[in-house]
Amino acid sequence: MSIAVGIARLGGLLERLRHEGRTAAGDLLHGLRDVEQRARAAGWEPLARSCRIGGETIAALAAADAEYDLHAAEVAEHVAQLVDFAARCLQAIDSGTDVAGIVPPPALTLRDAEERRQYAETVAMFVANAIATVGELEEETLALAASATPADAIAGIRRAVHTLKAEFGVLDMTGAQTLCHQAETTIDACVEHGQPFPVEAMLQCADLLERFLERLTLDPYAEVGDVEPQLRALRAVAANAAAGDQPVVLMVGGEFADSVTEFVSEARGHLADAEAAMVALANEPGDGENVNLTFRAFHTIKGVAGFLDLAPMVELAHSAETLLDGCRSQRLAFTADDIDLVLAAGDMIGQMIQSLEGRPGPRHRDWRRTIERLQAAAARADARPVPAAAPAAPESHEARATHGSPATPPARAVLQPQPRPDASPDGDTRPARGERTVKVSTTRLDLLVDMVGELVIAQAMVLQDPAIRRLDNQSLARNIGQVGKITRDLQEAAMSLRMVTVKATFQKMARLVRDVAGKAGKRVALVLHGEDTELDRNVVEQIADPLVHMIRNAIDHGIEGADERRAAGKPAEGRLTLSAYHQGGSIVIEIEDDGRGLDRARIVDKAVDKGLLPGGTGVGDLSPQQIHDLIFVPGFSTAEQITDLSGRGVGMDVVRRNIESLRGRVEIDSELGAGTTFRLRLPLTLAIIDGMVVRVGSERYVLPTLAIEHSFRPVAADLHHLVDRGECVRVRGAVLPVHRLKELFAQGDGLDDVAAGILVVVEADGRRCCLFVDEILGQQQVVIKSLGLARERVVGLSGGAIMTDGRVALILDVGTLIDCAVARPEHVR
Amino acid sequence: MSSPAAGRPPTDHAPASGKYLSFRLSKEEYGVSILRVREIIGMVAVTPLPRTPSHVRGVINLRGRIIPVIDLRLRFGMAAATATNETCIVVVDGAGPDGSFRVGCVVDSVSEVLTIATEQVEPTPRCANAGGDYLAGLAKLKDRVLILLDVERVLGDLDPATLVQGT
Repeated sequence: MSIAVGIARLGGLLERLRHEGRTAAGDLLHGLRDVEQRARAAGWEPLARSCRIGGETIAALAAADAEYDLHAAEVAEHVAQLVDFAARCLQAIDSGTDVAGIVPPPALTLRDAEERRQYAETVAMFVANAIATVGELEEETLALAASATPADAIAGIRRAVHTLKAEFGVLDMTGAQTLCHQAETTIDACVEHGQPFPVEAMLQCADLLERFLERLTLDPYAEVGDVEPQLRALRAVAANAAAGDQPVVLMVGGEFADSVTEFVSEARGHLADAEAAMVALANEPGDGENVNLTFRAFHTIKGVAGFLDLAPMVELAHSAETLLDGCRSQRLAFTADDIDLVLAAGDMIGQMIQSLEGRPGPRHRDWRRTIERLQAAAARADARPVPAAAPAAPESHEARATHGSPATPPARAVLQPQPRPDASPDGDTRPARGERTVKVSTTRLDLLVDMVGELVIAQAMVLQDPAIRRLDNQSLARNIGQVGKITRDLQEAAMSLRMVTVKATFQKMARLVRDVAGKAGKRVALVLHGEDTELDRNVVEQIADPLVHMIRNAIDHGIEGADERRAAGKPAEGRLTLSAYHQGGSIVIEIEDDGRGLDRARIVDKAVDKGLLPGGTGVGDLSPQQIHDLIFVPGFSTAEQITDLSGRGVGMDVVRRNIESLRGRVEIDSELGAGTTFRLRLPLTLAIIDGMVVRVGSERYVLPTLAIEHSFRPVAADLHHLVDRGECVRVRGAVLPVHRLKELFAQGDGLDDVAAGILVVVEADGRRCCLFVDEILGQQQVVIKSLGLARERVVGLSGGAIMTDGRVALILDVGTLIDCAVARPEHVR
Repeated sequence: MSSPAAGRPPTDHAPASGKYLSFRLSKEEYGVSILRVREIIGMVAVTPLPRTPSHVRGVINLRGRIIPVIDLRLRFGMAAATATNETCIVVVDGAGPDGSFRVGCVVDSVSEVLTIATEQVEPTPRCANAGGDYLAGLAKLKDRVLILLDVERVLGDLDPATLVQGT
């Protein structure tokens, strides 16, 4: 190859260097050396020299891990200049001008290497300490509520903040410094005015600092980013603390001014709902749904108020929510006093809403007192399970009794410290402190999983290397066995990192069911099965939308109204079952309703109307599955509304697309009048599968072991050729169709005589058949890899695997393989 | 901070000037922007992909990543050729509607890297047939003409529409 190609390759390597960093440096060095030699041979001494010097500097750098990362940008820049220089030399030669006239780029000089290294060291040292400090800060803030000596604890927190401020200052990280400064000021203001410690604001602040410090560990020059929201929150707390008897001031920033009117009317609606529910609850104690309804109302208000930055309203709604939550989770009986309290909170939010319209808001002191009473009542909930606790006095009394020391949430002071008090009241958004977790970016996680996959392949390559197999050495065999075991464990651990349960998704659906059923005026009970089934998190994220569509459809159109159900002899309450389970190498998610089912006759009529089916087609002409598939056709039911059918197809094409993009499939079972079941069958994408390696002619294929029932060498007498239906074979009393992989894939080589090869009995979606292959090569774990096509859809394949010899073998997808095998006779006809 | 380097890839469909890797298919010489070229490898064993058009040669393992390989001769409707010592796979990167892609292109041989100025490039002649869709232009060199390819248009349609050509 000519020098031009070498230079072109250098350009490619530069791109890789930019993306992959140090890992590409080795290849780059090769590339440089190559160009250097060719340049020397061609007599272009300046280019050869530049390449040599550049190569040496980069080699020296790449040898020292940390050093390289400090200079990655400079190296890339320098290589870019080299490539440019080389190209200009080339151009000059082409046009016959003198190469000597072209100025080589300056040598790669690492100007401030020492300085950078020192700075990075300083930052690393600081970060290590600071992370610990912020962690303590957070712990102490959370533990504050239960602390016996809150004044000391606050002083401790203040000291920690002060230290951080000073250190950020020394390192010239002004954003973080300002934030710490404001935190300090706010704490002081709260202490001075006898206000409670700003737990929420401090936790937010600590979160932000934590994230910043995390970034600093990766890049010593990282910026803190936007601290303005936290600053604002802290300033608001300080201002409110100082305000005392002043009315609570609510201001909405200019950008959201338009949303206020909407918020006011919405919030009033929610308050009315909450009030009605509370009143109903007073009449009928123990009705959990009313508590839920009220909780949701406060929750919604809190959410929108948070969005509009109305901190006092958020805090109040939040306290009410905490109390309601305590009641909802059965931690305490909801008393008449609680109802009064919640109603009072609602009234106060009402007043605040008025203040948005220019009328005076509630007094600051009253606002604070309401929150304290709510907190006291909620704290009582926490106290109940602890028998040693002092008997809880009536909460109104408690609230009064402890009102003098507002810096401490009242009830706590007289109670024994809880093991893990719910001091961060936003329990559902903050992970439990007990379980230590590390946040890792998904790209890094994916990289790890990929690399482990490579390791598995490499390990198998070593194991199967003839040189290794020839060696008869016990200790070597033992050690290799040990490496194999560790590799498998590592692989399992790496895969499990990405697995999450479907629980969170299912629970979101529970709320959706409640909401949609409420809107549709239907009573629907949701039953969940298999919430602990684990799925790759990439898959979990992508099934949420399809689930929403299908559940909405099931409630809107599947499940009938109460009267209709009673008339049909069904219970008035509809039933929706959501289940997840493993089956045959797939994960299945089922949405089953006991509604009216799909009316196949109507679907066919409508398809004929729309020209999707030829005129005169009747129900009998198509299989149920084929009819059901019609509802996935885009736009099938988006036109006019045909009573019970309407909407059944809305979004169904989207559902199918989403599921198929995960290489899954959607199946429908339905019985008119009895209900419909949607079944999402999802592969364990990106996973490592157990596969059976088979050979057909010169090609190898991987069959997922889970799809295989057994394999056997057929006897000619058991083979039959049926007119119009292809080949069949008798297996253990059943007659199964035989499909030749060779023919399905139009492969040129491979056995023709079935009796000379092997038949593998496979199963997919309840359909069984025999695949004819030349021979079985063995069983092996393979990493499913994308085939790198723009879209992942080649019929009969689910991906590729890199075999131990480095070549690619295709992984078969039995489901679509059978589909296309079955479809063939029709096309032939 | 590093200033923008000289070798930055231009935005898509930028003016056709710049450096091009030239390669041969049959008698013709083609060019593809070197910023699109990730690497050039010798011919390796390709695993055929069943049920795909003939110009899709199959897939290969490129350092742990599977990439499809296209035979540019067949893509452009030329007769197939047996591989020689000079046959190469040019690995190119492109941006498709569903994200970026990386594809290997089988070519008869790679020749050199040429710098082409805007004024050397002529738009695709009107008379060009369907194949004209793949062209970014024609570059007039001293003694010959280089056909400049638009990577996205040549390779960007690797989707089921072209890959699954019926059963």
